[in-house]
Amino acid sequence: MENISEPIFLALINPGLDLEFSFTEAMKGLGLSSQFAHILWLPLPMLLVLTAALIGVLVTVWLERKVSAAAQQRIGPEYAGALGVLQPMADGLKLLVKEDIIPARADNLLFTLGPVLVLVPVILSWLIVPFGQNLLISNVGVGIFLWISLSSIQPIGLLMSGYASNNKYSLLGGLRAAAQSISYEIPLALSVLAIVMMSNSLSTVDIVNQQNSAGLLSWNIWRQPVGFLIFWICALAECERLPFDLPEAEEELVAGYQTEYAGMKFALFYLGSYINLILSALLVSVLYLGGWGFPIPIEWLAQLTGLSINAPLIQLIIGAVGIVMTILKAYLLVFLAILLRWTTPRIRIDQLLDLGWKFLLPISLVNLLFTAGLKLAFPTAFGG
Amino acid sequence: MFGFLKKISHYTQDALNAAKYLAQGLSVTFDHMGRSPITVQYPYEKLIPSERYRGRIHYEFDKCIACEVCVRVCPINLPVVDWVMNKEAKKKELRNYSIDFGVCIFCGNCVEYCPTNCLSMTEEYELATFDRHSLNYDNVALGRLPTSVTTDPSIKPLRELGYLPKGVMDPHDVPSTQTRTGQLPSEVLELLQKNSKNNNTIEK
Repeated sequence: MENISEPIFLALINPGLDLEFSFTEAMKGLGLSSQFAHILWLPLPMLLVLTAALIGVLVTVWLERKVSAAAQQRIGPEYAGALGVLQPMADGLKLLVKEDIIPARADNLLFTLGPVLVLVPVILSWLIVPFGQNLLISNVGVGIFLWISLSSIQPIGLLMSGYASNNKYSLLGGLRAAAQSISYEIPLALSVLAIVMMSNSLSTVDIVNQQNSAGLLSWNIWRQPVGFLIFWICALAECERLPFDLPEAEEELVAGYQTEYAGMKFALFYLGSYINLILSALLVSVLYLGGWGFPIPIEWLAQLTGLSINAPLIQLIIGAVGIVMTILKAYLLVFLAILLRWTTPRIRIDQLLDLGWKFLLPISLVNLLFTAGLKLAFPTAFGG
Repeated sequence: MFGFLKKISHYTQDALNAAKYLAQGLSVTFDHMGRSPITVQYPYEKLIPSERYRGRIHYEFDKCIACEVCVRVCPINLPVVDWVMNKEAKKKELRNYSIDFGVCIFCGNCVEYCPTNCLSMTEEYELATFDRHSLNYDNVALGRLPTSVTTDPSIKPLRELGYLPKGVMDPHDVPSTQTRTGQLPSEVLELLQKNSKNNNTIEK
């Protein structure tokens, strides 16, 4: 832990793979102004990340169906493409061409706005997910705080759609979703705060850099095991995954706030919930599992092989390994979430609120205080 | 003071126990991931119905004496026996016989009590139709024999768990020559006959 400042030092001399810089330079070479080149550059990463998120959803849906099948000794989708990989595509296509029904006595505007308000903040949060030193849309200073504040918009959308459906099940589902999101946001934010305190920054890139001085051993999960668990539980609750899926508990509420939705509007909810799951998994890997970091620091490996860290090929390999590591860690967590879905029973609403307010909140507060104490006592190990 | 500490220790114990049980549950779910599927891919694979399967009823018109026992033993008097008295021959003349399988509960009482064994139960269970009235089978429809799962070349027949060789759980790729665990009814019969012979010789 002595060389904790090394990655920041490295980052200073080694900007890593900077695609924007190269793109702007290439455009300048074509005789365009740097401002115009920047405008040309802007939509590219956004489109790329949007596509990545959508493909991620397809993969997750397929994985969910296959893993669920395996956990129940079934086969799962098999005939749509090899091993049923095209099944989520078929599902999506079906929803796309389905009739878009708005109930006769529903509130038209709110009914349409609801799913949009659920999906947009989730997609917007991908802004801060880093896949490498410079492989993110925007390294905003408020970073992780942006995600927390954006995820607070979601319950408004859920409540809106629940209320606008003019259906008692929808309303109950919407109310439950709002109550759940609000109560689990607080321990979530507090456990993130402990991380932020250790890395002295809200930026996701800084948080990952601070964890990657010694590979696997310097990941935040060892310094914040309690925080990791709290964050994961809260993330599951925010995604409405199984132990906490009461807003859409089919046995009691038909489908909760989604009851009256069909076609593309339902697809937006569906998409939103899966993008949210992947996003949460990605953020867990960024905050606690070293983000794009390889278990053994790649700089050490480069030194061992005697290659310069600044060689273009090495930079490319580092970039690729970073993307693969981030996605791999995220999907391992998605797998865990699916496994948890078939392991844990759904909890009651009072148990849910008890767990949130009487267990996770005090523990995350204690965790925060403990981290602060450790930071004062051992500044080298806990980011003084 | 001690009460408070005790409460905290209980609380921690509870939390740890919950974590332990969760881990146990996860290990069970994870263990299932490695097991092979137990599902039967229905339209392509079918289970072989057991020998006393109570499926659609088969009926032989020529054997029937129109005694109406089947109607009397039926819980809902379902079979319709349409006969007239032939006064010259002083015999019942059967015209039509029908059973509505949309109403039948497949209890098999009619089969059991039929004095001429003209009723029997088949292994046919795929009775879906677009119109419930087409489930009302007349004597022609009742006389048709179903296609057996084992003889249909487009279907892969699978044995049920009780009919598999000892220790085998997966019905796929079990050769048909391998017999099921335990003794077959014919073997039991053989054994009984041998035993009774032995007993007879002892008595003599």
